[in-house]
Amino acid sequence: MNLKFLVVDDSVTMRRIVINSLKNLSYDNFVEAGDGREALDKLSADNSINFVITDWNMPNVSGLELVKSIRGDEKLSKLWILMVTTRGVKEDIIEALNARVNNYIVKPFTPQILKEKIDQIVNV
Amino acid sequence: MKQISSMSDLFERLNDLKIVFRYGQKLIPIIQSLIDFMKETVPLLEDINTSISDTTNKIPRAKDQINNVSSQTELATTEILDVVDSISLDVEKVDKYIHDIKSKEDEKNKSWEEIKKLIPSSSAADKLIKQYESLDVFSSTIPAIEEVFGKIRNDVYKITLSLQVQDITSQQLAAVNHLIESVRMRLSSLIVHLDETELNSVDNVKLDIPEKATFDPDAVYTKSTERQDVADELINSINAKATQDEIDKLFS
Repeated sequence: MNLKFLVVDDSVTMRRIVINSLKNLSYDNFVEAGDGREALDKLSADNSINFVITDWNMPNVSGLELVKSIRGDEKLSKLWILMVTTRGVKEDIIEALNARVNNYIVKPFTPQILKEKIDQIVNV
Repeated sequence: MKQISSMSDLFERLNDLKIVFRYGQKLIPIIQSLIDFMKETVPLLEDINTSISDTTNKIPRAKDQINNVSSQTELATTEILDVVDSISLDVEKVDKYIHDIKSKEDEKNKSWEEIKKLIPSSSAADKLIKQYESLDVFSSTIPAIEEVFGKIRNDVYKITLSLQVQDITSQQLAAVNHLIESVRMRLSSLIVHLDETELNSVDNVKLDIPEKATFDPDAVYTKSTERQDVADELINSINAKATQDEIDKLFS
């Protein structure tokens, strides 16, 4: 399947690490955004993006707000969303799942977990 | 108030007064020591006020230093990632060279097999062929070289992954900065209160994390899969069409 990823994180380091990991998994099509607002701009400008990997804690528009915006937008609502965040308490995970993320990874992540989650999302 | 109707009442009242005066005489030293104590306490309170004021003024500098640590660590991490990317590119180049060499080696070996067929069989020729083939160490070395480069590639990737620590520590530092700012605000209000000679308890300092915080105060760098397991279990429950209450029950 042709996947085009939007990697959203306010940390440049984390964006590079996620992208390096995607390259390691043989994916080569991705764009980046530094926060939720920039992500929404990128999504409205590029309709070939079909997979969003987002952090939670970000300035301007947070990851959770981004997820809600995507799910509330008819054109974007079908996008796959994987949240990759340091927030690992039960309440946070439930909140993200209620906002309808497709899957959830707690940082620091391993390449195996990233692969497993992408495969699970795409194969459901 | 009861009227004094007789001399006996008057004496009774005078007696009451005498008792009050006696108590008064006993109380005077206590009141005096209280006044002395307060005289000693006022400069102490002034010292505390000055000390809190000094500390409060130093807090912005502490915050700046923490911010500097965060930016410098991010810069250093970016530099490491640049080097790591450069090593990865070099490894990829070497991989490509090895791939090209292997293809040429295969062609060379095919040609050699053809050449061998053309050489008239003799014991001297067979000996020379065996000697020549034993010198061809390249074919047997390539897999070992590939293994080493595979290990380098994996190690480099491990370095990349471990740099996630930078994002996590920068969130922890941001949380510390937020706490420092909260303490500074409480100290500032305490100075005002001390100036008004009212001393409030600082036990109940509220350190709320704002809803819009761009950091996670509970961020941890750990290899434990415990938190990921919680996420996985919740997701599996949802996939199994469990209700929210059922999910909550799982972890209550």
